[in-house]
Amino acid sequence: MDKQIVGGLLLTAFLFGQTTINPDFSVIGDLIIDQSEDGIDLSSAGIEMVIQGYVNPFARADVYIHKHNDESALELEEAVITIERGLPLGLGLRAGKFRPDIGKINKDHAHLFPFIQAPKSMANILGEEFWSPTGLEGSILLPLPWYTKLSIGYFDEGFGGHKHMLNDKSNGDDDYQGKDEEEGLSNGVLSGRWSHFIDLNDVTHLEVGASGYSGDEKSLLWADLKFKWRPDKYRSLTIQGEVFQLNENREAHENDLNSQYDEENDKVKIIGYTFINYQFNKAWNMGLIGDFSTFDISDDEEDKYVDKSNYNFALFFGYSPVEESSVLRIRIAPDGNDINLMAQLIWSLGPHKPHRY
Amino acid sequence: MTVVTSTTDLADIVKQVGGDRVMVTSIARGNQDPHYVEILPSYMMKVRKADIYFMVGLELDLWAQYIIDGSRNRKLEVVDCSVEINKMEVPIGKVDASMGDIHQFGNPHYWLDPENGKLIARIITRKLSALDVEGQEYYNNKLADFEQRVDLALEKWESQFSNLVGKKIIFYHNSWPYFAARFGLKTVDFLEPKPGITPSPSKLNQIIQLIKSNDIELIASETYFSDRVPKFIATKTSVKTVMLAQSVGALDGVVSYFDLFETNLRILSKAYGLEND
Repeated sequence: MDKQIVGGLLLTAFLFGQTTINPDFSVIGDLIIDQSEDGIDLSSAGIEMVIQGYVNPFARADVYIHKHNDESALELEEAVITIERGLPLGLGLRAGKFRPDIGKINKDHAHLFPFIQAPKSMANILGEEFWSPTGLEGSILLPLPWYTKLSIGYFDEGFGGHKHMLNDKSNGDDDYQGKDEEEGLSNGVLSGRWSHFIDLNDVTHLEVGASGYSGDEKSLLWADLKFKWRPDKYRSLTIQGEVFQLNENREAHENDLNSQYDEENDKVKIIGYTFINYQFNKAWNMGLIGDFSTFDISDDEEDKYVDKSNYNFALFFGYSPVEESSVLRIRIAPDGNDINLMAQLIWSLGPHKPHRY
Repeated sequence: MTVVTSTTDLADIVKQVGGDRVMVTSIARGNQDPHYVEILPSYMMKVRKADIYFMVGLELDLWAQYIIDGSRNRKLEVVDCSVEINKMEVPIGKVDASMGDIHQFGNPHYWLDPENGKLIARIITRKLSALDVEGQEYYNNKLADFEQRVDLALEKWESQFSNLVGKKIIFYHNSWPYFAARFGLKTVDFLEPKPGITPSPSKLNQIIQLIKSNDIELIASETYFSDRVPKFIATKTSVKTVMLAQSVGALDGVVSYFDLFETNLRILSKAYGLEND
């Protein structure tokens, strides 16, 4: 389904557009060094290939293709056409397979995080690479003195259908693939976000958002906040947090063999994370991340893709000795009575596009 | 008419030729590195109701396109002010990241030559006149006045600061080829080993040896760089260090395009121990 829709969108662009200008093509790769009980594991979160460019004066296309560690198949992560300046009344439109405007972190690709791993509690619910369904999303900039945007989208599948835990050697097995396909058969879902961006002064900014999601036997209420102080080029302080309430239909829940919830818990769950990141010069940044969920994760051996803790904390450091797109990240986190140390080297080939706030 | 520009330099030139018929704001602040501007939604709000966006071009303000798109302003006219500039340092042959953050269409810091300021002003005037036909005569008169003032100021600067000609200088980043060519400074090297790349210990050692063997008197850097590296070199040599205004608003007192040159030339003259009062 995804491939047909996305292929159709791209084919339309190629058939009806005449241009000799190539899009931008870039590749992002990494190496992960993880300390484990058996010693040192070397792995990769995968290779990401990005193709970006304008389809015509009004629309641009972004395609993200991911090659996962230890998997042979390439996976389409995003393929989306975005129209921002072509519609009246401050309207915008995205169509294809993409990360919907819900919450804050869901829209970011992992290489943009200042830390190595996505917050575990979020990944357990949304999927390791977060939610990237196929669908259509419209948005409007509301006529208010500050930047405020309302987005509403309709998508073919709900979240949580995709999990790739770092260093999990079972990635790509038959059970896993089957689970993915099964979840892809779910009904359509609606999601939306109302966000506000406020300049507190020239160098300090606050973004707050409220999101909702309904469908696929679940509903969500979601709040996000990002505070950033950036007095100059090399110093910044970012505080970001999100929390959401998940309401799950109990009947559907009981039918889910891979359920993560025990029956004593109410069907309303709270999940959240927060991090603080301080960049103190051109090369170095450091911070702390914590996440939580109000439910216990199952100890069921068949459920291989979930963590076992309700709370996770980690210290992280980043070092970019040459330029910002090549970075060494270090993560120090409690692991039972031990300390787990993980490092990630990220590199980027090709154009380094500016990133949106 | 409402105008938004990428930098404060373009904004001031718009003010000079647009006068009170134009309201202008800049996205980047004068003390910001114009290569790296975070794409804030509030910038999109500035552009949302604008009539014209003037950008620097030559891949300096790549971020501007995202702000323009995000503004969702369908009527916005976007003008690249670099089109008529005689570009310096246009690379020959294949360009890749091994050369650092090199600009494949030429060095983009062209506003740092007053003669280029006149070319920018002409482009701005043409666009203002095209969109505000009633103000055409007004804009043309303002342009003529601006060009005359630039010519007079340039004549004065070239005479008053003529003893800067041939002076050796090391810059932090390669922002100054247009400025150096106009006022006769001799650029010996840069602290960055390649554009946009952090100075390495071996590069600093090389610079220290270069200063000692060539009697180089001055290191100049942009205001958005830390002065830690230039000051470290100064402790190892007799070199002096200064910060120059790379844009309008980068230093106190630099409130116009004319101040930009007047202030920088005075800073350099003072640093070299030349008396020009």
